[in-house]
Amino acid sequence: MKLISLLLLTLSLSYASVVTSYLESLSIEVKKEEPNFKGFDKQRGEKIFTSKHIGNKGKEISCVSCHTNNFTQNGENIFTGKEIAPLSPKTNPKRLAKLKTIKKWLRRNFKDVYKREGTALEKGDVITYILSKD
Amino acid sequence: MNRIVFILVAFSIIVFASNYEGKKSNGIQNSLYLNECSSCHMGFQAEFLPQRSWNKMMDTLDDHFGVDATFDKSDEVKVREYLLKNASDAKRGYGEMKEFSSSISRTSTPLAITEIPKFKREHREVPKRLIVQKDVQRISNCMACHTDAKEGLYKERNILIPNFGRWDD
Repeated sequence: MKLISLLLLTLSLSYASVVTSYLESLSIEVKKEEPNFKGFDKQRGEKIFTSKHIGNKGKEISCVSCHTNNFTQNGENIFTGKEIAPLSPKTNPKRLAKLKTIKKWLRRNFKDVYKREGTALEKGDVITYILSKD
Repeated sequence: MNRIVFILVAFSIIVFASNYEGKKSNGIQNSLYLNECSSCHMGFQAEFLPQRSWNKMMDTLDDHFGVDATFDKSDEVKVREYLLKNASDAKRGYGEMKEFSSSISRTSTPLAITEIPKFKREHREVPKRLIVQKDVQRISNCMACHTDAKEGLYKERNILIPNFGRWDD
């Protein structure tokens, strides 16, 4: 029993570490520019996630347009109609689980909404917002 | 002599069997292709378009119908290989996809399957209201009406249009 719980603990720790260590590396990046950096902020992240901008396709959109602001439910790609799995890692364990995938979608989705890539601060804030919700 | 006959027979059985497997269904088996390309839209069969279209598609992923669709460079190489290997002009096609790709003029390089001449002809008579309705939304949503789209068949008898029913030309 002890062995099983130890195994589970290691498993869950290594699992959580992907996004945690990514946040850590983003924070190091931010500190290079801003030595007084106090940490990522979910309120700033929420603003990044919910504010509307003229996106890459010339249409006014926000992250909410496709993901909705309820991370426990499916979203829908507004351009293709394809279903998007929930953003919450608690509801959808595949979410924020692989570094390669996290980086890919942040890069692409910032371009979709902001027509540019996100800064380290913005990426950290928006991930912090996603993790702060259910 | 007997040995040679045996080898020949065994060889033809293998070739026949692998061919048969291929003809039974044209569902996409490549998980990398599906993972990267069908997260935003249906995984369209490579057999719809010629190699020049897929090359152009992979060369312009940074502006893929107005969206940045780039992914890991080494994975992009693998997906391109898969698409080129299965493109309409890379193998002997059959069925609807063969007919569609055959209608593409040699001088054009379409990126959208919906731009293929035969695609346009085949869908011309579908009333707009059936396309824009909530259950379908857009003409590129193959699976909404073609119940066998994922298998790459697109047979007329397998068409079932939401809130309309079977389609008969």
